[in-house]
Amino acid sequence: MFKYVNKPIEKIDGLALVTGNEKYTDDFNFDNMLYVSIMHSGFAHAVIENLDDSPARKTPGVAEVLSYKNVKQILYTTAGQGFPEPSPYDTVLFGKTMRYVGDNVCAVAAESKEIADAALKKIKVKYKRLKPLLDFEKAEGSKIIIHKDDDAFPKIPVYYDASKNMPSKVEADIGNFEEAFENSPGKIDHTFYTPYASHCALEPHASVSYIDNRGRLIIISSTQVPFHVRRIVSHITEIPISKIRVIKPRIGGGFGGKQEVLLEPIVALITWRTKRPAKLVLNRKEVFKSTRTRHQFRTNFKVGYNNDGEISAFHLDALENSGGYGSHALTVLSNAGSKTLPLLNKIENVRFTGKSVYTNLPCGGAYRGYGATEAYFGFGQVIDMICEDTKQDILEYYKKWSIKSGETSPIFKALGEGKEGVAMTITSTSLDQCIDTGAKESDWYAKKKLYGANSEMNKNNRYKKGIGMAALMQGSAIPEIDMASAYIKMNDDGSFNLNVGATDLGTGSDTILAQIASEVLDTPVEKFIVTSSDTDITPFDVGAYASSTTYLSGKAVQKCAEKIKEQILKVGAEILDSKIEDVEIEDSMVKIKSSSKGSDQEKISFEDICRYAFYQNNQFQIQATASHVSPKSPPPFAAHFAEIEVDTLTGFIKVLNYTAAVDCGTPINTTLAEGQAEGAIVNGLAYALFEDYYFTPHGKMLNDTFGKYGMFTAYDIPPITVKLIESYEESGPFGAKSISEININGALPAIANAFYNATGKRLFKAPFTPEYVLKILND
Amino acid sequence: MRLNFNINSETKELELKTNETLLDVLRNNGYTEVKCGCNEGECGACLVLLDDKPVNSCQVLAMSVRKKEVKTVKGIGTLFSPHIIQRTFAQAGADQCGFCSPGMVIASYNLLRENPNPTYEEIVEGLDGNLCRCTGYVKIIEAVEESAELINGKK
Amino acid sequence: MLPNEIQWYFPSNIKEALKLIKQPGVILHAGGTRILKTQTKSVKGLVDIGGLDLNYIHEKGKSFHIGSAVSFGEIVKFSRETDNLKMLGTALSSAASTPLRNRITIGGSLKDFPLWSNLYAPLIALDAKVNIIGSKKNIIPIEDYVASGTIKTKHIIKEIIVPSDKDLIWGVKRFTLIRFEYPLFNIAVSFKMKNEIIEDARLVITGVRGRFKRFKRAENILNGQKLNKGLIGKCEKFITPKFIADYKYSAGYKENVAKIYFKDLLSEIAGRK
Repeated sequence: MFKYVNKPIEKIDGLALVTGNEKYTDDFNFDNMLYVSIMHSGFAHAVIENLDDSPARKTPGVAEVLSYKNVKQILYTTAGQGFPEPSPYDTVLFGKTMRYVGDNVCAVAAESKEIADAALKKIKVKYKRLKPLLDFEKAEGSKIIIHKDDDAFPKIPVYYDASKNMPSKVEADIGNFEEAFENSPGKIDHTFYTPYASHCALEPHASVSYIDNRGRLIIISSTQVPFHVRRIVSHITEIPISKIRVIKPRIGGGFGGKQEVLLEPIVALITWRTKRPAKLVLNRKEVFKSTRTRHQFRTNFKVGYNNDGEISAFHLDALENSGGYGSHALTVLSNAGSKTLPLLNKIENVRFTGKSVYTNLPCGGAYRGYGATEAYFGFGQVIDMICEDTKQDILEYYKKWSIKSGETSPIFKALGEGKEGVAMTITSTSLDQCIDTGAKESDWYAKKKLYGANSEMNKNNRYKKGIGMAALMQGSAIPEIDMASAYIKMNDDGSFNLNVGATDLGTGSDTILAQIASEVLDTPVEKFIVTSSDTDITPFDVGAYASSTTYLSGKAVQKCAEKIKEQILKVGAEILDSKIEDVEIEDSMVKIKSSSKGSDQEKISFEDICRYAFYQNNQFQIQATASHVSPKSPPPFAAHFAEIEVDTLTGFIKVLNYTAAVDCGTPINTTLAEGQAEGAIVNGLAYALFEDYYFTPHGKMLNDTFGKYGMFTAYDIPPITVKLIESYEESGPFGAKSISEININGALPAIANAFYNATGKRLFKAPFTPEYVLKILND
Repeated sequence: MRLNFNINSETKELELKTNETLLDVLRNNGYTEVKCGCNEGECGACLVLLDDKPVNSCQVLAMSVRKKEVKTVKGIGTLFSPHIIQRTFAQAGADQCGFCSPGMVIASYNLLRENPNPTYEEIVEGLDGNLCRCTGYVKIIEAVEESAELINGKK
Repeated sequence: MLPNEIQWYFPSNIKEALKLIKQPGVILHAGGTRILKTQTKSVKGLVDIGGLDLNYIHEKGKSFHIGSAVSFGEIVKFSRETDNLKMLGTALSSAASTPLRNRITIGGSLKDFPLWSNLYAPLIALDAKVNIIGSKKNIIPIEDYVASGTIKTKHIIKEIIVPSDKDLIWGVKRFTLIRFEYPLFNIAVSFKMKNEIIEDARLVITGVRGRFKRFKRAENILNGQKLNKGLIGKCEKFITPKFIADYKYSAGYKENVAKIYFKDLLSEIAGRK
């Protein structure tokens, strides 16, 4: 059906990556460059009473010191989101108040990192220590106020109450939950907790800046959001946008951790003031503590259901720990509801109540899954509970009650991202087939029969086996808010430049976007020279988040390529002395439609077409741009199945098999789509089994290295099966939706349900550390 | 100071200080293909071959290895002359962001040289010092298995 | 970060090396993996052991003499290609990671003795000895090396003498959730057998309070007996590891699991043909 799309094409930068040829931010060095070191707060809550940077300034080799003394206290949000941002403007670059261990105190720029580090140690800071607020369940209305007298404000008219430590509150209410719940014969009321996590992208955050020959500020940064960086740096430094260029080179992973403007303003200020290049690369401890994390969540589910399992009332209440600052507070909170509740769209009485609170702990930000991951933990278990109680087959239950093509959910409109959401109808889903395929691949029915807490197999066995599943949805781009655009121009050998703002984090979007253009123009992927994420050269794109690159940026590329196609046909028709309706594109050529093969005068190559257009007659550059905003966010769907073994004496959970069947519409690149699923699954497993932040009683993170935090190696992964089950989303390029986030959501509920199957007990807190598991088993 | 080192089969004079790690010395002297992921010896992004054995260059003090042969990933294969392992990695989709890839290639190269026909367990043991957050390791393991078959001429 | 302008020495004999480390702030450099983590400002000089001819594994009679500069990786490789060093090789094969095992030396690890070490438990179970050169030459049992405080003095380890495990029945086990992790504890169990009777039982754990422990009372119950499940039940109550709580696990949990691990290991050994 397709020639270039839906194919396992090798990444265009693949060989360059595996031979170490591609450059990441820290690989760029400039003459006369300064190295930046940052002093981070050792206190969770303190105010700087005095800062004496003179010993640092006097140190030979030190060029600049930044602190509240010489940095304008302009409020902003670090969140890389569209303007006006739905996150509160509650951050200043080097303020006086420290709100978590890891907050920025000051920065030194010097001739070498050694000199900068040494000079940093000489800076004398006097703090007034304040009592830290470290329990997010006690934050609302606490006497300890984290954003006090700092004029923090919400940029858009949404709820914001710093006096109560609440950067956000989100609500949606459909029907009459109370009444329906009261009248339900079956009732569930359970609370779940999910932990902090770090993205652990292999490349630490890094930014480099310099002044170019014409006096403009150039920033090279490991960022997911180059255009937002440009705007926000301009806002903070008061350097005009037109004087700033932001370039994203190769990035060593992001997963949401780099959808944040953290380092760029620092190097920008240093370069702008000293006129010298500046480089800032965080070390791993700094990445763990001072950048962003996954939000810690508490979710409570109150569900009323009938004896046949039909849910009549559903209330998801979410409490989100935002940490010291509120970047992504509102949006992650909203997504906890908007990416879960519509899955079972026939529930008539649905309520979502969400609160986000400030604490003196590391800050939550964007992290793959973005609220959905945290909510599916409880969501997936609650459905399993209902099925167990009413003796339903959970697979049939999901098939019966999940949202179908042609259907909508009132939640789509009720829960937006700071403004009203967007109503939409599902136009593609293969969830039923995903469920069936996953069941078959995982041998679901046979195993479910064999396992079970009281089965012959498990009954008196120290090692108990179980199988569990969960159905999932996510989204594809943020509807009516996010925009992507593309530019294509043709070259006189039949090749094309494809310039896109879209940000390839390693996801392979450069390749995927070229594939889409290839498909439109029926010319090989190698013919496209892709330049991406350079604010001077590529047109605007919001950046890589919200699972939007394939769906949104891809559509912009498709539209752009269609315009190029028209121009090529027009020139081709002119050369072939035909009407444009009588010619078509095939295999990098324009030919007359009814021509027989091998007849030279009735076709002309792309190369000749461009040469004609450049040099011969009615000359013009074949080029086009296109933008796209999506009116909807068609969800990808997935069904995940986890088979586990529990050692009831030690509390160890071993995952024996993991199966995922995924509907991402048309997978543009099957290898890359599988890779996204596999990577998300492994991350999800680690998050379920052991990832967490451990703090001292004073709010300092203890496990701030890979070894202490815990990371899977190839040695630890279970057998993983990923099946892509196609559907066709008409609003996406060649039927594509998205796949980058959804698969991180399955591990928590699937493993928890498998645990119930194995032991008859429920897990209410993640991660499922052996000690917690043992506690649950022995209670 | 400037001293001679043996890097990728060439004798090169590198600028270094006596307290610097091999990682810092390599990167400061242009060998940016060696990456820094953690600087604690825990992620494997900085892997190089030292006398044909993979080591974390961030945990090796440069002064102690002057007499040894150092190979970075470019000593195994380059963009214009890639090794079979590198070509296979790229084809299999074993590289997403690519930051772990040089280290993975070095670990795989070493594994297959010592053990041309590794079992699954032997492969994942050989990769036990290389972290990856993007791929979930699935396609990396497949790429190593595929490389083994190609190197052994089975395909 | 080590201090700037640190001095390097490359001695070619042990006597010279010993003289150098007597100077304040001058320490030995083997693989270097611990120096970067534990030593900072106080270090003035590094004495590289590469030229001291300490990189060998010799089989002499019923023992292996392993030079202190031999890496974990080399020991693992050697143990896979020969017989009778399997216990040590197995324990070390899961230590750290492949590239780290190529730098961690047996001497360096012995001198450093981090709490998560995979090395000590099997060496104690094997009744290994360490040959050190300090103010005097000495061959010391591993347990004494730690317990007597010799480990803290200025000395150079020449070699570790590891008896063959040919006539031993042994097992090793460590507590980790995932492969790359600092084990909470390491267990090593060995039985010197004569005609199916246990002659010398060793039950060792490292990572406990006091760094390591041998459960001698439990060992005494086992000595002179045939190994069977009933016997395990009898000695179980004398296996009482004591731990300090840390931020991840309570002391009670660690003690509980350590006991289970011992039982698992002993049962597994008893179940072998």
